[in-house]
Amino acid sequence: MEIPYVVNPRKDTGLFNSKIAIWLFLASEVMLFGGLFSGYVFLRIGADYPWPERTLPVLPGLINTFILIASSVTVVFAWASLKMRKWRQFQVFMGATVLCALVFMGFKAVEYGVKFKHQALRMKDFTMVEGHINYVKEKGGDGHDAHGAEDADYLRDADGDKIEANQHVFAVESVSFNLARTYHEPWVEALLASAGEKGAAVTLAETVDFNAPDAEETDGDLVFEKGTALGTGVLDEISGAFAANYAENASWRKRYLRTAWDMKWADVEENDLLGEAAFAADYPKALEFEAEEKKMAYVRWKAAERAKMAQDVGIGEVKLSGGTEAVTIDGKTYAERELPAPTAVTFTCSEPVVVRHPGHDVITDYKADNKTIQLRDGTTLNGSYKPSPMDFHYVDGIDFQHLAMDAENKNLDPEIAIENSWLVKNNPLVADLWSLHRQAVGQLEEILGRKGKEPTKKDRYRMGWQEIAWYMDLIHEHKEKGGEGLPEVVLPDDANAPPKVSMGLKEHFMGPNYDKRRFPHLTIPRSEVLLESKFTPKWNSYYAIYFTITGLHGLHVVGGAIVLAYYLFCSRKMYLANPEWLANRVEVGGLFWHFVDLVWIFAFPIFYLM
Amino acid sequence: MSATATHDDHHHDHHDPGFVRKYIFSTDHKMIGLQYGITAGLFLLFGFFLMIAMRWSIAYPHEPLPEWIAMFFPDGWEARWLQDGKMTGQAYNMFGAMHGTIMVFLGVVPLGFGAFGNYVTPLQIGAPDMAFPRLNMASYWVYLAGGLIMCGSFFMESGAAKSGWTNYSPLAGINDAQIVNQWLAGQTQWLIGLVLLITSSLLGSVNFITTIINLRARGMTWMRMPFFVWAMLVTGFLLLLAFPPLEAAGIMQLMDRVAGSSFFMPTGLYTQAEGLLELSVGGSPLLFQHLFWFLGHPEVYVLLLPAIACVAEIIPANTRKPLWGYKAMVYGVLVLGFLSFIVWAHHMYMTGMGPLVSTFFQTTTVLISIPSVILLTSLIISLWQGSIRFTPAMIWACAFLPMFGIGGLTGLPLAFNLVGLHLHDTYYVIGHFHYVVAPGILFGLFAGVYHWFPKITGRYMSRFLSHLHFWPSLICMNLIFFPMLTQGMAGFHRRWYNGGDAYLATDPESANVFGQTVAEHIDLNIVMSYGAWLMALAQVPFLINLVWSKFAGRRIESDNPWHATTLEWATPTPPGHGNFTTEPVVYRGPYEYSRPDHDEDYLPQWTAPKKPADQPEETPAAH
Repeated sequence: MEIPYVVNPRKDTGLFNSKIAIWLFLASEVMLFGGLFSGYVFLRIGADYPWPERTLPVLPGLINTFILIASSVTVVFAWASLKMRKWRQFQVFMGATVLCALVFMGFKAVEYGVKFKHQALRMKDFTMVEGHINYVKEKGGDGHDAHGAEDADYLRDADGDKIEANQHVFAVESVSFNLARTYHEPWVEALLASAGEKGAAVTLAETVDFNAPDAEETDGDLVFEKGTALGTGVLDEISGAFAANYAENASWRKRYLRTAWDMKWADVEENDLLGEAAFAADYPKALEFEAEEKKMAYVRWKAAERAKMAQDVGIGEVKLSGGTEAVTIDGKTYAERELPAPTAVTFTCSEPVVVRHPGHDVITDYKADNKTIQLRDGTTLNGSYKPSPMDFHYVDGIDFQHLAMDAENKNLDPEIAIENSWLVKNNPLVADLWSLHRQAVGQLEEILGRKGKEPTKKDRYRMGWQEIAWYMDLIHEHKEKGGEGLPEVVLPDDANAPPKVSMGLKEHFMGPNYDKRRFPHLTIPRSEVLLESKFTPKWNSYYAIYFTITGLHGLHVVGGAIVLAYYLFCSRKMYLANPEWLANRVEVGGLFWHFVDLVWIFAFPIFYLM
Repeated sequence: MSATATHDDHHHDHHDPGFVRKYIFSTDHKMIGLQYGITAGLFLLFGFFLMIAMRWSIAYPHEPLPEWIAMFFPDGWEARWLQDGKMTGQAYNMFGAMHGTIMVFLGVVPLGFGAFGNYVTPLQIGAPDMAFPRLNMASYWVYLAGGLIMCGSFFMESGAAKSGWTNYSPLAGINDAQIVNQWLAGQTQWLIGLVLLITSSLLGSVNFITTIINLRARGMTWMRMPFFVWAMLVTGFLLLLAFPPLEAAGIMQLMDRVAGSSFFMPTGLYTQAEGLLELSVGGSPLLFQHLFWFLGHPEVYVLLLPAIACVAEIIPANTRKPLWGYKAMVYGVLVLGFLSFIVWAHHMYMTGMGPLVSTFFQTTTVLISIPSVILLTSLIISLWQGSIRFTPAMIWACAFLPMFGIGGLTGLPLAFNLVGLHLHDTYYVIGHFHYVVAPGILFGLFAGVYHWFPKITGRYMSRFLSHLHFWPSLICMNLIFFPMLTQGMAGFHRRWYNGGDAYLATDPESANVFGQTVAEHIDLNIVMSYGAWLMALAQVPFLINLVWSKFAGRRIESDNPWHATTLEWATPTPPGHGNFTTEPVVYRGPYEYSRPDHDEDYLPQWTAPKKPADQPEETPAAH
């Protein structure tokens, strides 16, 4: 029998198989995205920080919305063309649909790319700083770098990418590897490369011998002499020798412990240590109990005795009723068999070697005078910290919203808290910007107050790139004119937001134009850093859910486009043999495409407009 | 059916396919069903083995694992995860998490839905195959890949997942954080495996529902469908709609691990190993629980329905009377399916959702017992006045009823949030749901194996060996799980790797009441552990029976050895590709046993009425 209703619908249900399937599939997709959108609602309602509202540029999202809607229309036309048996027309419309998908993904890629390069930083007092981070120059350490100095010699990592000035910089004097763990190879290589550049030698601090203590002739393979140079090969050999000895020890320990328990149980049986008599001897008081109570007392006593037995039984010796007895197998005790298995080996550097690690990979909390730090793979570095500041060459966002919220929660005046923030206190330029912003907000309050409104929290406490650029221009003009002190901010009478520069078309897509705009430089010491991240899922739960939903939606667009492109390019044969079947497929693919569009219709407002 | 004759590219399916196409990359629903069954069986054995090792640690926390357990561990692995041959807390957590995961996601669901559903459903509705055979094949392979990825992580540096089968954050987020490449951490592998399993069940459920809606044979109206098919339909919808939110949660947790997000990690989390964790703000552990249990509760019915469906087929065939209350059962199972979506938060009474929310979920939870009781009661009443044949399948089905009954009834106290406060996370909960899953669901599925084995192989299973399998299993199951209820009420926590040893009062005069209670009940651990180990022994006759009967069992006399009425017995034995030699036509309901107007005590769905009927769709005269 053939599988029926592949092409023609069944009479009583009125559906062909794949149409039922796609509707079911879409139902499950609704639940998938429903789960994610519920997640969005849950995270937003429960947010313990100022949710970033209307933080994305609307224009690219809006254009993408129209592109997807257009493609939903063309895919229907493509299907209709097939129904009318117009192959050329089908190709045109299906081609347009796939093209729309590509353009959509193009815009998406640009949008993502800008975010992946944009640095964010939360300071210990919850001030947020946004901007672009400096790269480390090979000479001259982590100092500032004049914008446009293309030829400067930047430090590069193994992949040839420039290294950003946002990592922990540590001068290593010695390094200990945890042999029970697998060391992370790239880190060892980076350490060796850095040592190589300096001409420093990294060598084994002490001779390590993995041979049995009583071995007559030492096996050269298992001895690692003091002074052996560090290398992944050596480390692998040491780890291997450790693992073998460790496993051998473990296997013997297991056998000794089993034997010890066998001895103990034999003793328990022989002397009836858990019996009623022993109970009576150990707990004479219980003899006077009622029968039921006595029974329970016995049960409790027995359980306790069993638990106590464990304290008597060990690898070395077993406490039997009379005293102790050594556990021996083949006439030897465990101590005679134990193979050396030190869990760490230390290599020393002939002179301090500088290594860099992102904060995520350093387990130890940062303190500038830390002499020892631990890496995620269990490796310990001894030495001292070099200055490891976060070095922004452009700051295009300073945000006190979280700080203000925190202050309000503590019943403090947010304005005073901001005045006392590290950034305003320690950086005169930021203090100037903040003072201008306060002027602007003061005027705004007055202007809006006339209409019975007031500035939003975002207006009050956040200086975005357009505001910062506006204030910087103002200061610049003021200075050019030879003005003293700070310029005056004057808002027009119809202002409804703090003053800002207007955005150029390219800036809608790519973010601020750093060649044209003026932004402050800023160096923030590591000790003030609470969290640093690019504008990625790590930054906050808004970006996390934004990337998850739009990323998953993007995967659906790509998947759908691949299927539609397959219909476009590889279905001529089917069209000639059975055009109705192809039309069914396109119909089903089109239904999926509509769904993808629908998801975006929901995603766009919640992420871009709300 | 002639409409499809135009597909040229389908014709090669009819020729005898090679070994690989027939047994490995098969698109035949029966072979896929068998693949599911065998794979799930192996996973069940593996999951059971993990529990056998855990039960040693519970009963004898200070003694090294005996050789008959430890011999299965590779040397290096044993050195790493056991301490002096004793189980460590880490290893116990790993085994516990993986036991749950394997049993639920890799064992019982694939066995019930994947194996029985795949093999029996198309046969029972008179379809030549599933609606999408290649999708069906993909579903199996994705499932296998997911399972292997999850279990492969046992051999990674991190070991397998250790955060319980529920994988709650933030625990699941912290575990394995020491691994630099997070893609190679067991906890991450668990999530990847889970996403694959969800994809597999999505493909499967779309296929099942489409098949049931569109591929029913002529005359197979909705109310003539066997209850088994109804149960599969509802199971399909549960999988289709309940799994995706967990997939969403899985993706979010995956983001937490590999992309640094903090969806489920609360602000200001501090651990001993890492100090203040580098987390963003705004994460919510509660969100994970909601998304997880939105799947988690329907999942219980995904486990249950295939088993109850097997029993509902076996009881009429072996009592020689119609299934009592067929319609009520059908409506019951539909209501059950619906209600299962709105009870999830009864797993979360302890999270502080507030009394209002708790009361809502308490109410819906109590409501869902109504359709459950309808199903069970109908099955019990079906036995009444039947001429029962105690075939191997029937003894298992009969044992299913009280065992599942205990499982269901012990659930009632848990539905109430006040009682829940006391019993939450105790062995009572473990006892309750294991009564549902192990002696309940697994017994139902064992019944299914014994019932359909003759159709699959053409031979009966040995009666002697099946009794040797059944009686010890029944006794051991109760030895294992009944004491859990007692211990749970005494307050034993479900995750003690040393069985409570650390909490008992060693001084008989101690005023530590809890310690004294623990001391009074701790010896039950040994009883339960022996139960579990003997239970393993009791499965040996079953495995022998499967192999022996396949090659040397008594041959069946006809294609319908149990004289049953549903369509799978109308096929040749075993059914060939395309299932039916002639297009089946259905004339009547599924359980026409002992009709007074008929000579034999059964009247199959496919037997044409004596008088030539013009309209096969016509319902037979009521009796």
